[in-house]
Amino acid sequence: MKSRIFQPKLVVYAALAFYMVLTVWVHLRVVGSQMSRTVTIRLAHWQNEVGPAAGLNAVIARYEELNPAVHVKQMVIPPSVYRQWLRTNFVGENAADIVEYGAWLQGMSDIPVRYFAPITAELQEPNPYNRGTALEGVPWLKTFTDELLEQRMNSPEPGQYYAVTLARGSFRLFSNRQLLREVTGSDQVPTTLIELRAMAEQLSAYNRTRQSPLALFAGSKDTATLLMGMYLTGTTSCMVPKLDRDGLLSLYAHHVLGGYLQGKWNFQQPALLAGLTLLGEFSAQMKPGFQQLSRDEAMREFLHGDALFIFAQTGTAMTLREQASFRVDALRAPQPTKDDPVVGSYILGPFADGNDMTSFGFYLNKRSPLKTEAIDFMRFLTSEEGNALFSAKSGWPPSIRGVPMSREVAAFVSPADGYMLGIGYFSAGGNSRDLLARNLYRLTGPQGSPAKLALALDEQMPEAARADLAALARDAWLAALPQDARIAALGGLVRAQPEQSAHLLAREQLEAAQNQSEARALMLGRQMK
Amino acid sequence: MQAGVSCIPAVGSAASELAEVWNYVANSQPVEARSALRLVELIDSRERALADVIMALTRLPITGDRLRALDLSLTGLAVGSDDISAQALYLRARLHQVHLASPNYARAGELYRELAKRHPASHWAQLGLVKLGLIALYALTEPVDAADRLAEVTALLDAITEPALRRDLQIQIGWAGLFYDRPLDEVLPHLIAAEREGGLFGLIPEDLVLQIGELSQRAGNFEQARSYFERFLREYPVSLRRYSVEQRLLELVRRMKVEGGS
Repeated sequence: MKSRIFQPKLVVYAALAFYMVLTVWVHLRVVGSQMSRTVTIRLAHWQNEVGPAAGLNAVIARYEELNPAVHVKQMVIPPSVYRQWLRTNFVGENAADIVEYGAWLQGMSDIPVRYFAPITAELQEPNPYNRGTALEGVPWLKTFTDELLEQRMNSPEPGQYYAVTLARGSFRLFSNRQLLREVTGSDQVPTTLIELRAMAEQLSAYNRTRQSPLALFAGSKDTATLLMGMYLTGTTSCMVPKLDRDGLLSLYAHHVLGGYLQGKWNFQQPALLAGLTLLGEFSAQMKPGFQQLSRDEAMREFLHGDALFIFAQTGTAMTLREQASFRVDALRAPQPTKDDPVVGSYILGPFADGNDMTSFGFYLNKRSPLKTEAIDFMRFLTSEEGNALFSAKSGWPPSIRGVPMSREVAAFVSPADGYMLGIGYFSAGGNSRDLLARNLYRLTGPQGSPAKLALALDEQMPEAARADLAALARDAWLAALPQDARIAALGGLVRAQPEQSAHLLAREQLEAAQNQSEARALMLGRQMK
Repeated sequence: MQAGVSCIPAVGSAASELAEVWNYVANSQPVEARSALRLVELIDSRERALADVIMALTRLPITGDRLRALDLSLTGLAVGSDDISAQALYLRARLHQVHLASPNYARAGELYRELAKRHPASHWAQLGLVKLGLIALYALTEPVDAADRLAEVTALLDAITEPALRRDLQIQIGWAGLFYDRPLDEVLPHLIAAEREGGLFGLIPEDLVLQIGELSQRAGNFEQARSYFERFLREYPVSLRRYSVEQRLLELVRRMKVEGGS
């Protein structure tokens, strides 16, 4: 006798029902997982100081809250390997979707045109993340405090914008307020070079009462190069009108290098000798052997309370303030005055100690499969909300108009109250950049003098200037040559679609850019002859 | 609606496929361009040959044998009177000017001149004259005298009718005039004309306005200098050189008071 529950029909129905439920369940699981699947965009940079990574994390957290389908991965790459890392990853087609880049990175001038996508068109549109703010409806480009000046100066393709910037910065003399009070008996800070010298004398007297002397400046090759480079240019500003053949009130690298080769200036000239004398004074205020030390060691010296000041970029402020057991103040660079006994005769007036240009530029990887998502994140990053989050957590001044700043952060912005003189004598190229550091020992010590240093510099500068001009010419050709194919292709487009005026405009712009680069390369070539 | 649809070019047509190839090259995406070109069928043989040359130009540097082959191919394409032949002749000149390991400026110059003679109204000929001007400004050894050199290049402007290209060459004539220390009265008209044409980008518009102001002051044309300095301060509020220009303007106004204008 068969049990009623084992009826075959019932078993078939049950199996069918089970199959249907299973099908629906599998379908729901697949659809569900597709709906919750996120894409990951990667953002890479080299800012490993305290601040930027935390700032970016705050922006990312908020962005992911607003866009649950997108995950943003921040990659902080050590600055010492960043260039190699970037190139290797681009060549291997494994680069991050958004990457930090700087036009000053040596040996990398081919990277932007090859691997970055211009974002000019996007920048002409309002940033949607600014809806409901004072920046609503404002073209994205116009929301940056400097309208992306750095891109106008260094764009790999004039007229195109490739990056958005996150912050502003300048140079500051960071002081140990407690130590300053102990040494000078007051909170008074130096605003002129004369006052700085007076403080150095007070420190010298103070040191006579101590077993281990304190330094005026925490010393290292990096911080000294910054300090000396800025002051040498700033205190020889009377040279700029003499070298400014083109009437630009500022010098480009080829003016400095070409001017040297044409005999328009040398290190023996009184202004330069005075500037080198000042560098000798600075050098004597750092601990012996500072040239063998790195910036981190100078920071340790300052944080340990062994130096009154450290000269640094404002990007390091958070690191200093977080690690110091004393109050760290950020001071404007003490300025030379006309009555300065060393450099007073050679200055036009105060010089800029930094500028109000935005920086920390992020570029879009041309090959990124997630360009839309990456652009969207770049928009949020530089929206009023995103940039405010970044600034608050990083301690870096914001790049976007109207984003509020604390008084401490606002102190890092240099107002336009000094001459901006352009490229300095030791920053016109990689070869001339190393000259000062390599020869500084000729300035200090019992046998050293400004004249000896000047002599050595003049012996080595011609070769360095020629090599740097050649590098500039090479870069200009690198920018010009790949445009031949693009211009020719635009010619094909004009032929194929003559009704589209956009092609004509694009060709006109590209040709103008190529003509400029090419003329520059030819002029530099002539300058070297 | 139907009428609107019929206006759209046929999807997949050789013309639109080729336009896609050009778009990829124009956007610096040579790998995608090459893949797209492989898919293009029924293409005019001259257009195909030109496309092959342009693809080669996306892979720089080009080596000796390949250059010779490209030159040969372009020589064949340059026969005729259409846009492709003008473009081919222009690209031949470019090969000699910039893509050879040792540039042959003299040969490039000959080809640019031939192009201007055969296709005077062609865009490629007009662009070629600008390139010829740049070579003459800096690369050729003759004429030795800078005034003659600049006069020779200035004469090319008569044949350049496209305003943007005229502007590009005029800026360079002005800047070369400064490079060769020519009198400011000779230099300034070129810079003023180029600035007036507009359409420039990067830092150049800012540089030009400032430069015209400063050079006018040096040339003793104080009213013109003041007008350009004031314009600079008005139009470039975020320039890093604002302070310098403000100081220069103050100095100029003081000087004008003392000397009673220009």
